[in-house]
Amino acid sequence: MNLLRSLARRALLPGLSVLSALILGGVGIIITDFDHLSQLGSDPLVAIGGAVSGVFNGYGAMIAGAFGDPSRIATALQTGNERDIATAIRPLTETLVAAMPLIFVGLAVAISFRAGMFNIGGDGQLILGALGATIVAIALQTSGLPSLVILVLAIAASVVAGALWGFIPGFLKARTGAHEVITTIMLNYVAAQIVLFALIGPFLRQAGSSQPISKSMTWVDVPPIVTLPAIRLDWGFVVALVMAGVVSWLLFKTTKGFELRAAGFSPTAARYAGMSAGGSMMLAMSLSGALAGMGGGFMVIGTVGQLSNDLSGGIGFNAIALALLAGLRPSGVVLAALLFGALTTGGKEMGIQTGIPFDLLFFIIALVIMFVAAPGLIRSIWRVRVKPAADVPSMAPSAPAGTV
Amino acid sequence: MTTTAAPGGEGVSATTTSARPHHEGLAARRALRNARIRGAVFLAIGVYAFYLASSAFSTPASFLFRFFNTGQERFEIATSVGLLWLVSGLASALVGGLQLWRGAAFRWRPWLFVVIAPIVVAVFGALLDGTTANFTNVLRGSLELATPLTLGAMAGILSERSGMLNIALNGKMLVGACVSVIVGSVVLRFTGNVIVSTTIAIAAAMAVSGVLGLLLAWLGIRYKVDQIIAGTVINIGALGITNFLFLRVLGRNPEFNTPPTVAAMQLPILSDLPVVGPILFSLRPYVYIALVMMVVLTYFIYRTRWGLRLRASGEKPAAAGTVGINVIRIRYQALLLAGLICGLAGSYLPLATAGSFQMDMVAGKGFIALAAMIFGAWHPIGAFGAALVFGFADSAQALLSVLGVAVPPQLLNSVPYVITIVVVAGVVGRVRGPASAGQPYEQG
Amino acid sequence: MRLELRDITKRFPGVLANDRISVSADKGEVLGMLGENGAGKTTLMNILSGLYRPDSGEIVIEGTPRTFDDPAAAIRAGVGMVHQHFMLVPVFDVVEAVALGSEPVTGALGTFNRAEARRRIVELSEQYKLNVPPDAKIESLPVGVRQRVEILKALYRKSDILVLDEPSAVLTPHETEELFSIIRSLAKAGTTVIFITHKLNEVLAVADKIVVLRRGRVAGTTTPQETSRQALANMMVGRDVELIVPKGPAKPGEVVLSITDLEVRDDRLEVAVKGIDLDVRAGEIVAIAGVQGNGQTELIEAIVGLRAVDAGTINIAGHDIGHPSPRMVSDLGVAHIPEDRGRDGLIPYMTVADNYILDSYHNAPYSRRGVFDLKAVSERARQGVEDFDIRTPSIETLAGALSGGNQQKVVVAREFSFPVKLVVAAQPTRGLDVGSIEYIHRRIVEQRDRGAAILIVSTELDEILAVGDRIAVMYDGQIVGILEGESATYENLGLLMGGAEFGVGTAA
Repeated sequence: MNLLRSLARRALLPGLSVLSALILGGVGIIITDFDHLSQLGSDPLVAIGGAVSGVFNGYGAMIAGAFGDPSRIATALQTGNERDIATAIRPLTETLVAAMPLIFVGLAVAISFRAGMFNIGGDGQLILGALGATIVAIALQTSGLPSLVILVLAIAASVVAGALWGFIPGFLKARTGAHEVITTIMLNYVAAQIVLFALIGPFLRQAGSSQPISKSMTWVDVPPIVTLPAIRLDWGFVVALVMAGVVSWLLFKTTKGFELRAAGFSPTAARYAGMSAGGSMMLAMSLSGALAGMGGGFMVIGTVGQLSNDLSGGIGFNAIALALLAGLRPSGVVLAALLFGALTTGGKEMGIQTGIPFDLLFFIIALVIMFVAAPGLIRSIWRVRVKPAADVPSMAPSAPAGTV
Repeated sequence: MTTTAAPGGEGVSATTTSARPHHEGLAARRALRNARIRGAVFLAIGVYAFYLASSAFSTPASFLFRFFNTGQERFEIATSVGLLWLVSGLASALVGGLQLWRGAAFRWRPWLFVVIAPIVVAVFGALLDGTTANFTNVLRGSLELATPLTLGAMAGILSERSGMLNIALNGKMLVGACVSVIVGSVVLRFTGNVIVSTTIAIAAAMAVSGVLGLLLAWLGIRYKVDQIIAGTVINIGALGITNFLFLRVLGRNPEFNTPPTVAAMQLPILSDLPVVGPILFSLRPYVYIALVMMVVLTYFIYRTRWGLRLRASGEKPAAAGTVGINVIRIRYQALLLAGLICGLAGSYLPLATAGSFQMDMVAGKGFIALAAMIFGAWHPIGAFGAALVFGFADSAQALLSVLGVAVPPQLLNSVPYVITIVVVAGVVGRVRGPASAGQPYEQG
Repeated sequence: MRLELRDITKRFPGVLANDRISVSADKGEVLGMLGENGAGKTTLMNILSGLYRPDSGEIVIEGTPRTFDDPAAAIRAGVGMVHQHFMLVPVFDVVEAVALGSEPVTGALGTFNRAEARRRIVELSEQYKLNVPPDAKIESLPVGVRQRVEILKALYRKSDILVLDEPSAVLTPHETEELFSIIRSLAKAGTTVIFITHKLNEVLAVADKIVVLRRGRVAGTTTPQETSRQALANMMVGRDVELIVPKGPAKPGEVVLSITDLEVRDDRLEVAVKGIDLDVRAGEIVAIAGVQGNGQTELIEAIVGLRAVDAGTINIAGHDIGHPSPRMVSDLGVAHIPEDRGRDGLIPYMTVADNYILDSYHNAPYSRRGVFDLKAVSERARQGVEDFDIRTPSIETLAGALSGGNQQKVVVAREFSFPVKLVVAAQPTRGLDVGSIEYIHRRIVEQRDRGAAILIVSTELDEILAVGDRIAVMYDGQIVGILEGESATYENLGLLMGGAEFGVGTAA
């Protein structure tokens, strides 16, 4: 009972934040519903009613798009027809597919935050990880190695590439005090340019394509969890869950994790206690990059199947939102990633069904971050007592003066 | 030191512990050592440029300049890449020599431009590899492309000088761009007047961005939201809302996406000057506004009461607070102004270049503006210089791709980002920003 | 101007900082306000300078009740404040730093009239013999000069009431003496001066009237003529203070810490420790006295491995600390109680248990091969909480939620949780209440009696005299004298702390 109550208290702020953001998103839908609002003069009731019902239609489509129709799933499972089952559960599996990289990058953000580093470079680390995996996979295409071996090597390459891209800002911060927010933002753009550059040549580029996209990697794939047509859900998702467990274990059960957290809260106290604060920065950023890179690797080899410059699609920024929403707890990251995965998948379906653009989601996600980061706002809107979701290491004092 | 100061100076050394002369001695020695290293680096760059020159005299480098805005008269500087490297080498060696000669007293930062400018031209010449380039267009392009960056950097300087980190420049510019297009299109439709609609469009863009600036301040001050998180909120939110508006409103109703455009303006008399007229005095009004703003801001930040208080708020807010300065009000003012400038910068993109709004049309320029601010050491003039370098990279890249010169555009596109990383890492010499930027201030 | 504070009350969550405090000072009078840390002095001054508003009570200046809504109002009413931590913008020059907030301007744009401000500053500097260089950058000035800039700031604002909050904390005895003469000449010129301190000698030396605060209340009002050090001390702590920690005579054993010819640089790369020789033996307490900033911090940091040794050697229990690291030093059996416990000694956002293992987490029984044994951690932490009587709801409570005394007990409990050969303690009781101070001193003496060598650095002479078996005095990076505990007095220590060349009866 106590556990339930404490869980409820912990969920209150994130829950109300998401709810508030969705309501404001609904307001956005209403005031841009020109078709209905144009009748405001002639028939205000219909105009407003229509606009409001547009919100419900939109969010309804979003929920259906994210979770599917339970009765349909039940019937499909009863008949046992593969195709029916696949169609019925596809919304649900697509939600998990969308959640997979979000878990990886969310964990990446959480681990760097815990160590007092603000990793905004998730996008760059993810895409370079994807590039590393792509290069290895394509290079080994004709090597005759079993595809599972190629898969493992490709994922390993993604981890190394991501870790390297994370290590750079960690190293610069530890050695020169360069603020990681600035360096990771800049490295995101450099990473994008590197990927574009890599996709010029015929080695990676899909033959005859005018767009900078890579050959599609059909000869190597992450094994699916269920073999059904058009179901993309694969073991990458399971690896993501395992990684959440690993990160949790690392942070709270090992001495390295203790050092990371200590350095995150107080670099000087960590130094006085005999820890290497600089080492923790580099380690945390490398781990962070490795996780994001791995997410990129699993996307490009598994669920997406080819590399393009917009592979990430803002995952790095969404990951910041969900890591904050999760209070930087790995278990919370998984839950928040599932929520964001559902929003993403559902949001696309909403776009198709009702014409409400998917991009509304970015706006909603921004509002979620705002509410989570400003519990006072939620407190004054909803008249409830909420506690901050995250005992986030304070960024400002650890930032060296004058680097941003 | 002036004569009145002299007794004071004597008094200091007479009344304090021996720590003082000691302190001065070591700090000076360290400054001298740094100065020597810096001088050696400049000299090394010079020597390397001479080396590059030795093998490049046979490669011609020719730059065309238009004489006048009208007519076909051209003025060509035909030289060789080798000569350009030679000039670069001389400039760098000169600055290195000055540095070594003058020691720690040498104010080297402004001279950096003397080193960088010829190198940039030489690299450009080397990349052209014999192809003739229209330099008038490149330079015009540099100034034009530097304009939104300059304006963005000014906004960044205002907020960070007040003590508020501002990574939200990008988002505010994006919203400014979108608002200017919608308002401009509507007003143009109703009035048919380009000047009126442009003015109202820009004013609206500034107003909305200004509100976003206040939102950023409000989150950071009232709710103590980490300023980086608050900036991220605005960046993501701006992307989401403008994409949403584009897809839901502008895409379906093109009448909302046909704004007035701002054409280049020929300044009377000055634009008729040969060579420099077409380059400097026939640009869009935005460029002149940005330059005027640079001068005005420099004056305000360094010469006025408000500027003194602004800098105090960013350096040591507690010191300002205890003498009765309302630090929080100053921060709100600074972020409001920064927002207004961001709106102006954002409106440049659709009104001056693209002619319509497109999704994510700011494309990271807000972050490059942030980079220019840092590269320019939080000084308006420095930031303009940095923006000019970035603008030149952009402009040269555009020309090279038109000419079909085989240089990957990705390389030049990366220049601002890489330079920024190098600068914040303190490789060229550490720049120091406002000491208290990013830290919330508690007013009693 | 005559200043009166009537029945000032100020309550913070959980603390009654000022409880119906009434004091007054006449024109040209120097009022010494004496009290321990936490007695409510600074709160009272923040009320007077407009930073806080009192819950009740009033401020009366020249018979007129005033309310200060913000610092600007207090400044307008003629109250000038010199804060304990200087309120000067480091990158400004003196003219800008002084004029800030009261800038003369010209023109419609509000252009700062620097020439005018500079003229007035030079004038004031000469009039009061402050010797302040007007064009120097604040960050390049020594602390003594910075403090005079602060005083200049108040004069520039035509303050008739000057409040100085712990002004001598960072000054040498000589600089303090200079400050006193400035204070006297200001008073003679008609300024009312309020001098806040916790140092008995200083109020006796400079004040015309002394008000003692204790736990937010006025404990007594007196004058230097009719009181004594002991009487003031008793008033301050509310009972007869035992300035001596109960301890037997030291039984020095073999040398544990041996320092020869040590040179260490500070953060600005200047030599801060200039050739120190010092031995600390098992079973004795060596106390290092000195004004803050004479190299003590750098010395301690070098011993515990936080700062590189420039020249000379440090030998701990037979091991030369060549390339030091805090980990290696602590593994030799060195306990370190750092100067700034909130910043360096513990992590406020981590739990008591986490802080209890902060520097030994990597050792058995807490962890094996990098993985924690959380049961062992909580068992040992609970034991430590019990042994050291740490008042905390649980070991999972965040350390930052504890009181200062209990925080320091966490640090001490941690440092003494493993067998210790050497204890290095910097300002171990700064800011603590009397009970905690006694407790921590007792624990340190206990370690001595177990055979540990103890090195304590303190700027408080009371503490030095109470615990030191031998007392070394540091001045300007050197040890200028070592006294046996019994032969040390306020007077001879004060002389040494002032340095040889200034040693002319300043500190007594």
